[in-house]
Amino acid sequence: MELLDARRAPLLARPFFEGGDPGAIVSAMAHVPEVLDATMPFLVQMFGPSALPARTKELVILRTSALLDCRYCIQSHSIAARDAGLAREEVLALRGDGPLGDQFTDRAERALLDWVDGVAGSTGPVPPEIGEALMSHFAEPDVIELTLLAGTTMMLNRFCTALGLPTSQAALARLAEDGLL
Amino acid sequence: MSEIAEAVGDGVLPGRVWLYANYHCNLTCTYCLTESGPKVAKRELGAQRMLEVAAQARALGFTSLGVTGGEPFLLSYLTETIIEMAEMLPIVVLTNGTLFTRARLEEARGLTGAPVAIQISLDSADPVANDTMRGPENFRRVVAAIDALVARGVRVRIATTADHIDEHELERLCQLHRGLGVADEDHIVRPILRRGRAIDSGLGVDTDLIDLPPELTITADGAYWSPFGPTVHGGRLDTDLLVSRTTSPLDKPANILLRLVQGRARGDDAKLDIR
Repeated sequence: MELLDARRAPLLARPFFEGGDPGAIVSAMAHVPEVLDATMPFLVQMFGPSALPARTKELVILRTSALLDCRYCIQSHSIAARDAGLAREEVLALRGDGPLGDQFTDRAERALLDWVDGVAGSTGPVPPEIGEALMSHFAEPDVIELTLLAGTTMMLNRFCTALGLPTSQAALARLAEDGLL
Repeated sequence: MSEIAEAVGDGVLPGRVWLYANYHCNLTCTYCLTESGPKVAKRELGAQRMLEVAAQARALGFTSLGVTGGEPFLLSYLTETIIEMAEMLPIVVLTNGTLFTRARLEEARGLTGAPVAIQISLDSADPVANDTMRGPENFRRVVAAIDALVARGVRVRIATTADHIDEHELERLCQLHRGLGVADEDHIVRPILRRGRAIDSGLGVDTDLIDLPPELTITADGAYWSPFGPTVHGGRLDTDLLVSRTTSPLDKPANILLRLVQGRARGDDAKLDIR
């Protein structure tokens, strides 16, 4: 799978390369520029700043990525999670390298992680009691956005895993430095 | 009136839609943008698709068509398809002019009186110089084809592609085409672009997007900014001038192209005089 560089970036994709290497997801999607052009504003909205705190969003993204075993997303979002203020031990627990219960004692966060496990860790409906617990801590719009964030992460998890997208050298160096590789 | 028709009417978008009929060719010219040759993948659009593009182009408000390749006349259905397309919009067909056998020339009678121009490549009035670029016997075949097509009442244009052409050489070429019955307005001279095989041959001028008129170009691989966009180098299709992979319905790539044109900084368009 060729990852397009700035020199070969199609016209609609060029703006995404203006700030330097845009990463493997953009470089792969650039092969279909009209899809990239439509997808990126959505992804930026979903993964960028929104009404939800960055920490909350990274809990969802990293946990989902761990459940779907997406190497690229786990590595990229271990860094994003650390930047959002999560402790190294919290990152390891979300990745399944330690018990979640020891690290996440906040009831709202526990309810959220149970919800994510229900959305991304199994098929079929999420058990009603898990939904009720989530709703007792989060407003309806938050639940909608958190669920869409889990679903969007799952889409990217499969995209990155199926295509075997490589993690950047810079990200790998940062992970090594943090003992998260 | 569609937004595209309005843009064409206002001169924001050129009126011509180009179609890459195929990528294979009987020649292997030294400056070929698409590295075409007898052994490359054909990547044909197909007659049905060509007709669909023509119909959709007309419906959107485009005003003419161009067919290029590869060598389009390698396709057995080409003449018939061109005649049908010309019922929808005027059309220019680019060819190396070496495949006009007696049977082909008989078919070409169907082009007489139709809004069709056959644009044939001829790079020099000197047979040796021409054949160095385009292959053995090219000059003789091309001159014979031009003569035969003109005699049958088919409009012929001659395209000269050259790195450099001096006044004396140009005059010789003009004498030649006038003698063949091709008027001055049907002789175009254009530079070699440093894309495709021209890169490896050390030929041509570098291009910026701004140098190329934004003529919607449809190929089997997607829609491009210009017929100079879907080039091939090292066997790999260039993607820098790709507009979209989606080509049907035609309004999708046409609207993306218009959006790109409208977002483009104003500048000195078409300074290379590429046609």
